Amino acid sequence: MIPVDDAGTMVVNRHSVADALSFHGVTKRFGSFAALSDVTVAFRRGEVHCLLGENGAGKSTLCNLAFGIHQADAGEIRLDGAPFRPSGPGDSLKAGIAMVHQHFSLVDDMSVVDNLILGQARGIAWRRAFAAKLEELTTRYGLALKPFARVGDLSIGERQCVEIVKCLIRQPRILILDEPTAVLLPDEIKGLLEVVRRVAVEGCAVILVTHKLAEIRDVADRVTVVRQGRVAAQSQTPGQDIEALVRAMIQRPLEALDPAMAMSLGISAGSEVKRRAARIGPRGPDALQIDAVTVKDATGVVRLDEVTLTIQPGEIVGIVGVEGNGQSELGAVLAGTCPPSAGRIIVGDLDLTGRPPQAFSAAGMGVVPEDRHAVGAITGMTLTENLFLDRSRVPTRFGLLRRRVMREAALTMMAQFDVRASGPDVAFGSLSGGNQQKAVLAREMTRPGLKVLLAAQPTRGLDVGAVEAVYGLIRAASERGVAILLISSELDEVLAIANRVAVLYRGRIVGECRGEPGQRERIGALMAGHSA
Amino acid sequence: MTISVPPSARQRTRLWPSGLVVPLGVTIPVASVLASFAVGLLLVVLMGAPLGQALSSFLDGAFGSSYAISVSLNRAAVYSLVGLGFIFANRANLTNVGAEGQIAVGGIAATAVALVPGIADLPLGLSFVVPTLAAMLAGAIWGGIAGVLKARIGTSEVISTLLLSFIAVWLVYWCVQSEHLLRQPMTSAATLPESLPIPETTQLPLVTGDYGAPANLGLPLAFFLAIAVAVVLGYSRFGFQLKAVGFNPLAARRAGFSTRQTIVVAFLVAGAFGGLAGAVMLLGDQYSLKAGFSSGYGYDGLVVGLLARGSTVGVIATALLFGFLRSGGISMEMGAGVPAALVLVIQGLIVVSVSGAAFWLDRRQPAKE
Repeated sequence: MIPVDDAGTMVVNRHSVADALSFHGVTKRFGSFAALSDVTVAFRRGEVHCLLGENGAGKSTLCNLAFGIHQADAGEIRLDGAPFRPSGPGDSLKAGIAMVHQHFSLVDDMSVVDNLILGQARGIAWRRAFAAKLEELTTRYGLALKPFARVGDLSIGERQCVEIVKCLIRQPRILILDEPTAVLLPDEIKGLLEVVRRVAVEGCAVILVTHKLAEIRDVADRVTVVRQGRVAAQSQTPGQDIEALVRAMIQRPLEALDPAMAMSLGISAGSEVKRRAARIGPRGPDALQIDAVTVKDATGVVRLDEVTLTIQPGEIVGIVGVEGNGQSELGAVLAGTCPPSAGRIIVGDLDLTGRPPQAFSAAGMGVVPEDRHAVGAITGMTLTENLFLDRSRVPTRFGLLRRRVMREAALTMMAQFDVRASGPDVAFGSLSGGNQQKAVLAREMTRPGLKVLLAAQPTRGLDVGAVEAVYGLIRAASERGVAILLISSELDEVLAIANRVAVLYRGRIVGECRGEPGQRERIGALMAGHSA
Repeated sequence: MTISVPPSARQRTRLWPSGLVVPLGVTIPVASVLASFAVGLLLVVLMGAPLGQALSSFLDGAFGSSYAISVSLNRAAVYSLVGLGFIFANRANLTNVGAEGQIAVGGIAATAVALVPGIADLPLGLSFVVPTLAAMLAGAIWGGIAGVLKARIGTSEVISTLLLSFIAVWLVYWCVQSEHLLRQPMTSAATLPESLPIPETTQLPLVTGDYGAPANLGLPLAFFLAIAVAVVLGYSRFGFQLKAVGFNPLAARRAGFSTRQTIVVAFLVAGAFGGLAGAVMLLGDQYSLKAGFSSGYGYDGLVVGLLARGSTVGVIATALLFGFLRSGGISMEMGAGVPAALVLVIQGLIVVSVSGAAFWLDRRQPAKE
């Protein structure tokens, strides 16, 4: 059983010889915000210890403390039972702690070996020696890496392998992996988890941050759930405690969870959601027609290759694919910021090919861009200003802004879409990611005459509560008859809410199928470029 | 040279427990100015000049007579106009360092139009309004070139406006050297390379109507335009557009605002302010075009715009400060033998300390959650 306790207290582990790294009452604050409070947890040799929790729960902070990026404000970290106070990553590396960060830190233009040498070699860099070491590691862990391949030419999965080999080459005693599977394909995830398993078996303590429950089932020996900077639950038999762990993570009964959410977390089959799928029949003319759209970039490389797709009112179509296979270009084409080199885009009965963004907006196209900071919103402006970030919707009189009208409408939108902020005039950048995304959704979904909503990676970086809210909003729009195009790299998310799924690979749609969990394997294969 | 100023840095701090709150945007410049003055005085002492005499001649030059005050105010008016143009374009994250050239072409246009026969006889003040409008048009074109280059092919506006300034400054030389252009008829070998004096009716009216206190309409005009700029930037849709494009061109474009149009219009306006400054200098103060006409006013005005950090009140305040500072400095050189360059040192110190303080404050801002 797990010692779940709402107050966050738990039986303090006595030091055990197997503990490689342990936290004792550790607290870390950023300003007045306590990222971690009084955390006690031990990581043992030979075990894979998963850290589970929502975004912002404190998982990454915990890793960063162990790796020396941050220093604890209170409490103690012990390494093999002795107090350990790293003043920077250098100290941690010397002590045998290695970390794979959430984002790649590789030089694309250099070979695999050169990337390994980077920051490791002193004096003369013996390429051949490093290549030999790499060879030895790859055979030991069953990895497939060519030592002299250019990193920029590798797939995302192979790059993640390079990151891990970069750690393993130091023969670490503790390996920290911060969401290493977030960007990987199902097959690649499996391979990576096998490597992780093997590293642990060899006696290393592995700390794996994840929010994918399937991974916990497969690989975890021990799970710690972090919520609001505290240890919310621990389990030594994670395979049996999945539901309890999720409950501890979101602190709510599972029954109250949005079914699509539950499904994308891997808890239930989502039968409730799928019943809807059958209900949708043809509802008249297509809301969106993408007709043989081709996009070439400035260097002439084809980014989208004759993509054809139609969506009916009320339908949710998901586009899945590994990032960089044309999703961004498709999003830009549909936002009107990137005119296609060939093909047509028709919203309702208006041909919008080559028209400016405002024409797309006027035709009823709402866009939630994949990068809300770059395109969706302006962080330096206020929340109200961002809710009215649309030329045709800024209320003016004689060219002057009607600030009071804007403010009142903003308050209404905030209430309707549950955007939580201390007021409508706060800086947009001060909102949490979830509230920023809800504000962008609020603006796009209240667009007059909304016919089509493009939601690109709408839940990226959001916590469970916000993800659920976003799903609810998307579904509500679909029920109003809005056609929805959902572009996402999270296969489970798409399977959970889309009626139809199209797979994008190297700019082409390589397959289409109904959005059902049973299609998972097939879609995964298509995403990896295997023809079905 | 890259200059960038965050368009708005509105922060408030508590200074004393009575609950009186003073914006940091005020306390920091004031403290910087005072500190810079202190260093300046220290330098005067170190140079061995008599402190009392230096101070008295400084004050004399800045405030000593209605003539001195008028000259300082005229100077401040030019600085204000340039500064207003700067913060306008800067709201769209554009850095107009070309005011010097915009002043120069404004001066050329104002002179040329004022000397056109018949202009001087226009009724209802049109005799000085028309040359002024011509100067604004010339400045707007000069700024607009940089705007179009930036919007069309992405040329850095810092480079293009600077280079355009050099061209404009030499255009002034050409105009006053060539009899075919604006040089006054050569009657003897001693004829100076400058234009004919402009007719009296084309001169900008003096507030007092008295050449003993020659404060012209420039400063009232600058006050009025400061209010206009504040309203446009803060309360109009175009201000919203400028800000959106300045912060994030991609998001602004997606929102239906044309970034190209915004950039070009911002530069047309900034250029027009520069041209207007040139008109005020020529029609209100110098009355004839000479080589070296713009003489650094554009660069001083640029500093005024930078220090104002996006605030129109800041522009006026800084312009007044610099106006009096310059006049006082010149008098100090003559009266106490302290080089007028000392004023430049003080100006430099103010720039460094204000921007340094701003940098420090921005970094000190509490981390986001």
